[in-house]
Amino acid sequence: MAALLEAEGLSKAFGGLVAVNGVSLSVSPGEVLGLIGPNGSGKTTLLNLIAGTTRPDAGAIRMDGEDVTRLPNHLRVRRRINRTFQLVRMPANLSAIETVMAGVLYGAGERVPFKEAGYVAAGLLGELNLLLKADRRLDQLTYIEQKRVELARALATRPSVLLLDEWLSGLGASELDGGMSVVWSLAARGIAVVLVEHVMTAVRALCGRVMVMNAGAKIAEGPPEEVLRNAEVIRAYLGDEDA
Amino acid sequence: MVGEDKPFPTRAALAIGSLVTLVVLLAALPWLLSDYGLSFMVSVMSYLVLTVAWALFSGPTRLVSLATSAFFGVGMYTVAMLIKLMPLYATFAVALGVGALLAGVVGVLTLRIAGMFFVIFGFGLSEMIRQLMVWWEINKTHTMGRYVFVPFDATLIYEHLLGLAVIVFFVGWQLRRARLGLALMVIGEDETVARQVGVNVPFAKVAIFVVSAMFMTMTGALMAPRYGFINPNFAFNPLVSFQVVIMAFLGGLQRLWGPALGVIPLIILSELLQTEFPFWFSVLLGIVFMVIVYFLPRGVTGLIEDGWKALGRPLELQRGLTGPLVDAWGWMSRPIILPRGIAGAIEDVWVKIAPQTKGRR
Ligand SMILES: Nc1ncnc2c1ncn2[C@@H]1O[C@H](COP(=O)(O)OP(=O)(O)O)[C@@H](O)[C@H]1O
Ligand SMILES: [Mg+2]
Repeated sequence: MAALLEAEGLSKAFGGLVAVNGVSLSVSPGEVLGLIGPNGSGKTTLLNLIAGTTRPDAGAIRMDGEDVTRLPNHLRVRRRINRTFQLVRMPANLSAIETVMAGVLYGAGERVPFKEAGYVAAGLLGELNLLLKADRRLDQLTYIEQKRVELARALATRPSVLLLDEWLSGLGASELDGGMSVVWSLAARGIAVVLVEHVMTAVRALCGRVMVMNAGAKIAEGPPEEVLRNAEVIRAYLGDEDA
Repeated sequence: MVGEDKPFPTRAALAIGSLVTLVVLLAALPWLLSDYGLSFMVSVMSYLVLTVAWALFSGPTRLVSLATSAFFGVGMYTVAMLIKLMPLYATFAVALGVGALLAGVVGVLTLRIAGMFFVIFGFGLSEMIRQLMVWWEINKTHTMGRYVFVPFDATLIYEHLLGLAVIVFFVGWQLRRARLGLALMVIGEDETVARQVGVNVPFAKVAIFVVSAMFMTMTGALMAPRYGFINPNFAFNPLVSFQVVIMAFLGGLQRLWGPALGVIPLIILSELLQTEFPFWFSVLLGIVFMVIVYFLPRGVTGLIEDGWKALGRPLELQRGLTGPLVDAWGWMSRPIILPRGIAGAIEDVWVKIAPQTKGRR
C-alpha cells in the first residue's frame, strides 16, 4: 500500500546536540511501524517533529501527498496526525470527558455540534473501558487510566496517523495484553501507527516493520525478527547496559 | 430524589425566574434610590461589567491584563471626541469598533508572548494612548478636553449598564457550554495539549481578548455622558485597571459570578479612602492590591482557612517591604491560581447547609 505519511531527512539540533540526524520514515494505513533505540537516541524528538510540536532544522514531511512541514501543530492535527506524550499530559482541572470533548470539537473533518460532542467523547471513553471514569480528573485516575484518556484524546481528533510514545511502557503483564490489543485494533481500523516502545514482546507481536535509532540516526530498518538479530542493534542496546 | 414527575418549578425554571426577578428589581432601582444611591449604583454596575469582562479573558487564560483602562478610556474618549459630529448611539457604535480593532491588534502583537511582557504592555498601552491623546489635543486640536452634554442622564446610563451586565453574564455563561470556552479552559491548563487537540491557541486567545475588550470599551462609552467634561488624563486612569484586578481577586475567579462579589466591598473601600485620604488614595489602593496579591493568593476563603493556621506561626518579614513588591510583580507574570474568593466562601457555606448538592469541581 502507498505510504500515508512520509518524512525525509528530518534533522533537529538543540544547541550543539544533534538529537535527530537526517532520519527518513514512512508508514501506510493499517501498518504498525516500530521505533526503537536506547534512551536519548532521539525517538521522542522525531515524533515531535512529525507531530509539529517542534520545528525541524531540515527535512520534509508529507501527509497524504501534501507537504505539511511548515504547518503548525494544530493544523497537523486537522490533517489527521496525532500523538500521545511519553509523559502523560492531561489538563489537571478538566475531567476526562471534557479533555476528550475538546479533541472531538477541534479535530479533523466535519465540525461536530457541541451537544453531540459529549456523546462522541463518551463513546470513545467507552471503547477504552473508561466510561465509568468519564467525570474523573487527572489526579483521580490511575497511571494506566491516564494513558488511556490520552489515547482517547488523540483518537477524538479522528487521526489517520497516530504516534504512540511509549504508550505501553509501565503496564503490568496482564495490562500489557489489553494494551496490545488496543494498538492492534487501531491498525485494524486502518490507522497508520508509529509505535515508540521498549517492550520488545509488544514490538515483535505488533510491528510489521521496525526502525532502530541510535544517537539521532537511523541505524537499521526491516522486519522485527531480522532487525532485532542485527549486531549493531544489540550493541546499541547492550552497550548501554554492559559497558 | 427519583420522583417520576419533575416537580413543577424545575431547578432551571426556578433559576431563570429568580434571575429575571433580580434584573427587574435592579432595573427599578433608579426610581427607589436617592441621587447619591443611584450614582453609587452606576459605579457598581460599571465596575461589575468591567470585572466580569476582565475575568472572561483572565480567568481561563490566567494572564493578568492591566489593559482595562486602555479600553475603558478608548470607549469614553471616542464618544467625547465624536459627540458633536453624530448622534450618541452612533458614537457608541464607533467606539465599540475602535475598541475591538485595538484589542485585535494588541492581542496579535502581545498574546504570543506571555508573562511579564504582557502585564507591562497592558499597563503601558493605557499610558501610551493617554500621552498620545494629550499631545494630539494640545498640538493638533488645541483643546484641553471635551464637553459631553447630551440628554442621557444617570438613570439611562444605569439602565444601559444593567443591560450590558446581563449580556456579559450571558456571554460568560454560554462560553462555558461552547467550543471556544472549552478550548480556553484547556489553554489555561496546558497550551501543548490545546494545540494537540487541534486548537489554534493564538486565535482563541485573541478572540476572547477582543470580546472582553468590547465590553470594557462599551462601559467607557456609556460612562462618557456621566461627566460633562472629559480630558485624556481622566478617561485613561490606570487605577481603573488595578481596581478591576483587585475586585476580581477579592470576589474569586472560579465561578462566573465570583468577580461580581468583589465589586461592592472595593467600591465602598475606595470611596472611603478617596474621601478620607484623597492625596494617598492611589498609594493606599496599591497597598490593598499588594496585600491581596501577597497575602490572599486564593481570595477571601483562603484567608479564612490560612488565618487560623497562621495564628500559631511567626510572621515572616525579613525581606521588608521590597519582598511583597518583588513577589507581586513576579506573581503577576506567572499563570495565576484562580482564587476562590467570596464566591468560594459562599459555596463552602452552601455545601454545609445543603450537603446533598455536589460541587462540579
Ligand atoms: N527540548 C530539548 N532541548 C534540549 N535538548 C533536548 C530537548 N529535547 C530532547 N533533547 C535531547 O535530545 C536527545 C534525544 O532525546 P529524545 O528525543 O527525548 O530521546 P528518546 O525519546 O529516544 O529517549 C537527548 O539527548 C535529549 O537530552
Ligand atoms: Mg522518549
